[in-house]
Amino acid sequence: MIAGTRVIDFHGHVGRWDGAGMRDDPDEMLRAMDAVGIDQSCLFNIFYPDGRTGNDLTARFVKRHPDRFIGFAYVSPLMPDTMAPELERAVDHLGMRAIKIYPSYTPFPLDNPVWDPVYDFAHRRGLVIITHTGIEPTTAPRFLSQVAPRFPGARFVAGHAGNVEPFRAQAIRAARTCPNVFLETCSSFRSPGVVEELVQKAGAERVLYGSDTPLMDPRCQIGKILTADISDQAKRLILGENACRLLGI
Amino acid sequence: MTTLNFRARVPVFDANIGVGHLRNRASPFETSEQLLREMDRHGVARALIYHLQGEAMSALEGNERLLSWVDGQSALHPQWAADPTPESLAQLQQLHRPGQLTSIRLHNTRDCGLPFADWIYGDLLEWLAAERIPLWLSLADTPAVEVRETLRRFPDLVTVLLGGHYIHSMIVGPLLRQLPQAHLELSRYEGLGKIPPLIREFGIRRLVYGSFYPRYAMGPMLFSLHHLGLETGDLELVCSGNLERILKQGEDR
Repeated sequence: MIAGTRVIDFHGHVGRWDGAGMRDDPDEMLRAMDAVGIDQSCLFNIFYPDGRTGNDLTARFVKRHPDRFIGFAYVSPLMPDTMAPELERAVDHLGMRAIKIYPSYTPFPLDNPVWDPVYDFAHRRGLVIITHTGIEPTTAPRFLSQVAPRFPGARFVAGHAGNVEPFRAQAIRAARTCPNVFLETCSSFRSPGVVEELVQKAGAERVLYGSDTPLMDPRCQIGKILTADISDQAKRLILGENACRLLGI
Repeated sequence: MTTLNFRARVPVFDANIGVGHLRNRASPFETSEQLLREMDRHGVARALIYHLQGEAMSALEGNERLLSWVDGQSALHPQWAADPTPESLAQLQQLHRPGQLTSIRLHNTRDCGLPFADWIYGDLLEWLAAERIPLWLSLADTPAVEVRETLRRFPDLVTVLLGGHYIHSMIVGPLLRQLPQAHLELSRYEGLGKIPPLIREFGIRRLVYGSFYPRYAMGPMLFSLHHLGLETGDLELVCSGNLERILKQGEDR
């Protein structure tokens, strides 16, 4: 908790990426969370296109600390036949609370119909989908402006909020035009004024704190929110109130 | 306990702030006073500043423009840019005579297509080592092999390595091991759990806080360092003491 606000980190990983020094050591992750008052972190494994392998790893990881970690399901259109059944399994049997997609690991842009089974599943179940957004051709946030209205029951979170310009502007535009689009803040580009811009242009109720833990230290990423020149109420919304509302917790 | 607002609780001397506009990026601040206001918002008392034109376009011109930023500002300390030309070295030597030179920042070698090699930078590096003037050098712009090979030839030259990122996480430790006179500036080094092992192996004196403002927001890394669980004395060294010591070696010449 920070000043009485439950803090949810909306963007984290399970798995190892040795080349970037990423190691999913739960003790290390919990130490960092505890150091700054992060109550829970949302985690997913994006390294296996079958979905099942990574989702099982995520479920096992979450099971060790179910009060601190929240699992999200991952599927990929590289193996299209597995997507719908794996989502059902992950949500209904593994207890995943939302869905992560990562178009950068595929040749398919966010608006390609191959993603529709994922969007339709989230629409029917009222689930959140967090997607990587940024400079990669498949991940431009402008696609969300086209997809989100077609699946109004789903809530779409633009991971990294587009990361850099002009993609940040696209993400903000998607959030302004689609009530079911939200913006998440983690980024290794810690440009000044970004959190302030997201709040000013999209509204604090549409912004979510995320860190990319353990690739990046959640302390540094939460520092973006706590050192931003925004109101305390905006910080409370971003740190956790919006995430609790979206996840129904 | 974490609160909704943050200000540094130890003295802070930022080792990495750029001033001025770039051809492709306008600065969020136009004057020293605006920069000082942002520093004050986070509790940063002093900053080592360089002109972005000096790093990216022209060391000579950037250094000329830097003068107006530090004139009459005791909280802003100039860091001069260098390239390998005789004109640049002459400018630095001129600045050094009245004692205005306590550190140097190498221009962007990658943008110029120059290898960081002694047969190109040797005269500059030799002079810096002899005058005990520390060198700031970007890991983002300079291949690690060149950093290692070249700096090993100048064992007395004190350096501060900038721009270490999570993609450098397998390089930073070996580089600090190979280069006992090198320090790591921390603005971009935010991989989870990456700083404590460096402290354990190399000691707190090899780490320096910098914000990389205005490319990066000024507060997040400072906030993070305050929540790493460091003793207050160690936090002070990272946030200001180590930089003061590095800059003073030139003054003590």
